[in-house]
Amino acid sequence: MSIVQKSQLKSLWVLHFDCGSCNGCDIEVLAALTPKFDVERFGIVNIGDPKQADVLVVTGPANRRNQRVLRNLYEQMPEPKLVIAVGTCASTGGVFYNCPNVLGGVDKVIPVDVYIPGCAVRPEQIIDAVVLALDKLAGKAPKEEE
Amino acid sequence: MNPETLIAVNVGLPAVVALASLVLNDKRMRTGIVSLTSLVLIVSSILLYLGGGVEFSPAPVIGTVVLALDFALLGYFLYVGYRSRSPLVLGLALLQLVPVAYFEFVLKGAHVENVIAVDGLSTLLTLIINIVGSVVCIYALSYMEEHEHHLHLERSRQGRFFFYLVLLLGAMNGLVYSNSLYWLYFFWEVTTLCCFELIRHDGTEEAEANAVTALWMGLVGGVGFVAAMFAGYGAVHSIALTDLMAAQGSQLLLAGFALMALAAFTKSAQFPFHSWLLGAMVAPTPVSALLHSSTMVNAGVYMLLRIAPAIKGTPLSYVIALGGAVTFVVTSFLAIRQSVSKRVLAYSTIGNLGLIILCIGLNTGLSYTAALTLLFFHSVAKGLLFMGAGVVENKVGSRNIEDWEGLLGRMPLTGMVMIIGMVSMFLPPFGMLIGKWVAVDAVASTPLIIGLPLVVMVVLGSAATTFYYAKWLGFLTILPNSLEKRKDENLETPYRVSLYGLLGLNILVSVGAALVVDDVVNPILAAAYQQAVTTPGYSIDLGFTAFPVWPLWAALLAVILIGSTVARSKGGALSPPYLGGENVAGKPVTFMTTADSEVAVEVSGVYLAPQIDEASIDRLAVGAGILIMALMFLVVIT
Amino acid sequence: MDAASTLISLGLALATPLMGGVLAGFDRKLTARMQERVGPPLLQPFYDVIKLWAKKPMIASSLQPVLAFGYLGFALVAAGMVTFRQDLLLVLFVTALADVCLTVAALNAKSPYSYLGARREFLSMLSYEPVMLLAYVSVFLVTGSFTVQGVLDYGKPLLLVIPAALVALQLVLVVEMKKSPFDVSGSGHAHQELVRGVYTELSGYTMALVEVGHWAKVATTLMILSLFWAPNPLIGAAVALAMFFVSLVVDNSYPRLTWQRMLRTTWAFGFALILLNLAALALGGVI
Repeated sequence: MSIVQKSQLKSLWVLHFDCGSCNGCDIEVLAALTPKFDVERFGIVNIGDPKQADVLVVTGPANRRNQRVLRNLYEQMPEPKLVIAVGTCASTGGVFYNCPNVLGGVDKVIPVDVYIPGCAVRPEQIIDAVVLALDKLAGKAPKEEE
Repeated sequence: MNPETLIAVNVGLPAVVALASLVLNDKRMRTGIVSLTSLVLIVSSILLYLGGGVEFSPAPVIGTVVLALDFALLGYFLYVGYRSRSPLVLGLALLQLVPVAYFEFVLKGAHVENVIAVDGLSTLLTLIINIVGSVVCIYALSYMEEHEHHLHLERSRQGRFFFYLVLLLGAMNGLVYSNSLYWLYFFWEVTTLCCFELIRHDGTEEAEANAVTALWMGLVGGVGFVAAMFAGYGAVHSIALTDLMAAQGSQLLLAGFALMALAAFTKSAQFPFHSWLLGAMVAPTPVSALLHSSTMVNAGVYMLLRIAPAIKGTPLSYVIALGGAVTFVVTSFLAIRQSVSKRVLAYSTIGNLGLIILCIGLNTGLSYTAALTLLFFHSVAKGLLFMGAGVVENKVGSRNIEDWEGLLGRMPLTGMVMIIGMVSMFLPPFGMLIGKWVAVDAVASTPLIIGLPLVVMVVLGSAATTFYYAKWLGFLTILPNSLEKRKDENLETPYRVSLYGLLGLNILVSVGAALVVDDVVNPILAAAYQQAVTTPGYSIDLGFTAFPVWPLWAALLAVILIGSTVARSKGGALSPPYLGGENVAGKPVTFMTTADSEVAVEVSGVYLAPQIDEASIDRLAVGAGILIMALMFLVVIT
Repeated sequence: MDAASTLISLGLALATPLMGGVLAGFDRKLTARMQERVGPPLLQPFYDVIKLWAKKPMIASSLQPVLAFGYLGFALVAAGMVTFRQDLLLVLFVTALADVCLTVAALNAKSPYSYLGARREFLSMLSYEPVMLLAYVSVFLVTGSFTVQGVLDYGKPLLLVIPAALVALQLVLVVEMKKSPFDVSGSGHAHQELVRGVYTELSGYTMALVEVGHWAKVATTLMILSLFWAPNPLIGAAVALAMFFVSLVVDNSYPRLTWQRMLRTTWAFGFALILLNLAALALGGVI
């Protein structure tokens, strides 16, 4: 593994965006950053600026209003980038599936790399998802099951 | 070419050409003679600099002419005072007219052995006056065309304009060659006249009012000179500068020097006499570039440089330093507050002159070096900045910095001129920074009880200078908001010649800073303080520290080259700014807000308005200035 | 200067980014430990910068990358001026040149957060530049020289003569390192009101250049601080590292304050302390 690849795996900067969730998953994302779970030991920093972020961590379902914002943020992230959909709402729309303004999961707007079902998702699951995302980045992820 | 001829050319030619431009109405002829005169003056000033010093008196008839012109001038000032209903002008003109008549006809004290004396200091000023001044005159040829076009003038008033502009060059030259205090005073008052007439050139109410302010403040200086003549004559029975400088310092003589310092403070717009220069910004920009930054205001500094060796070590000298220091620090902060480009430059000029005067007042070899270096580089850089500002103002149609946002994108060449001009005012490796560096060294080397308060003022003023230039320069580089086409930057030839010429000169003298110090500063320093600055290996060595000139320039070039290479090789796609994801597609720098309205991002300059109350600070400044002027005379008479 | 010492000086100057990077690693590790976390590995900053360099380039304007390099370039020139024992005032002015490159790069992109960061960066410069200048003047008054060589020749530890300058420089260090309470223009992590502040529009390799430039700047400042115990370089380094550590403690104890407070604090404490110290020295006949 080259030094570049190793660095990409060891340094993952996160942009966290809430599409309209109840904030339950957001709290859990935040909890993952706290000393108890401490994702910074993996080099993960909540950087808040898409231009410097590697991972877009999205919660909440995509709807007609925020699809533009979501797409803008995704496009302002330089390659290589990953998207993690945190929570059932972000994955499929969750309880808001089929509501008038809701498009569904985040993947209706941007390509998603890792889905974490759950309501709300636990920090340990978030860390697992990040590891999976890193594997995907390194090209070692298992193929998606049909 | 012997010096006498060159001097005659430098003083006489501008006078003749000035009259010619007043009489000739043909634009092409005027362009021709102004350009030719500029060339002649530049050459003659360089020749004069290369030649040795000289002392002589011209034919006595010239003395009579000067006398006659002086009385005519004073008479004209009386008339102006009457016409503008200004008791100040009337009174001050009378306060000169009567004593001068007494001095000339009753005391018969105006005879001086060698009326003209030229040394290193005179030739330095000559270089600045004629080179920068000529470039500004060429610049004015285009500027006034556009200016009158903007004002929709039916009949051109350029004849009158160039008369006073070119006359000023001759008067300034005469000023720095004069050994007789009377002749110096005469040329000084001619510059006051030119200043007055040029400020009121556009004829608006504001221009007339500001011109009168400039006039009465200038006349205060004139009164100071007249009083100094009496004091000098009373002390050493002569009004020759050489005699005054060589004499033993008596109280009366010191009072004479204090009066000359007062005149210097009025001309260089130091506290409390700073408001006239700010008011003078209403004048067309060549006036600001020539009179109010690089040439006329240098007359005050020249006066102080001339008398400094004679007042070395006196309390008077230190009070002068205090006056300069206070002016420097306060105006540097006031400059932050300005949104009108010419006012920023005006405050910057006053401030830098204050720094120069601080250095002169400290009266050591080191501080004198700092003063000369600052004077030299400031004149070139400030002239350039004012000219650039004038071009931008004409093309953009506004003097407000807010309207100059993103100039670099809209007018790349002019924007670059402005940016390099600003960088050269406060960043290494340019000459102004060298001067400031020597100044800090000089102030730190002063006895603590005086040095420490001055150091505090200098470091605060320096930081403020960085602030207002860096923010302005950054503002010019902001990308344009719309996809508006770049303005066709078709600059007329006089603009191109003057802007790029002075830009090139600015960079050249900064690169050759060690040469400037060696060939221009050292001779003057040697004559006045019997010291010299060494320039080993093309650096500037002050003994206890050194400025590596060429390594820093090499570093600057290396950074630019390597940076450009890296940028080109890596490249990158242009991306819109981060607006929280609310970017509106297709419209640059626009975001969507509530109710789906689209708002363009607007940024404004930084002025620290809540923190800097210009009006009250200005009042304090005037008060402080008056106190310092009073102190100046107090230390002489006690 | 002979070839050997020239090479050492050059090497040391070019090594400042590395030194700064290692310090940044310790910064994050120690901060984590103060927060009862494990924290990232010590080499984390290097992983970050390499990752940034490998990102697909994305720029705000054609001027931005040159300016970003200018920040690093001039920071290295300033480092070189220290290692080649030049004038401290000039080191400060060259650093100002680097800072102007950074702020102009931030203003260049018409972005609200970037603009706000640049504005605050100007204010940061306004707050520490005069204090640093006065501190260097106090060094001159004691040693008779403004140069690093002069401090080395002085022989006695400056810490024992002008401790106030070091305290003032501690405040300056907090501002320069962009640590709370004075991280008003940007920081190692995102701010709610600023996002990334002056760094917002940087991305990929331009961010990497600026980050490395920041390391060089911090390392250079610490080298200057170590001059306060010039006779023994090890003690000098310990002094500098102690001040570095104090910055971390302060960072973790204070919230971000306003820029007005930053100006007031640095100027009031900086000027008062140094002037009092100099007055004491003058009365004591030392200067």
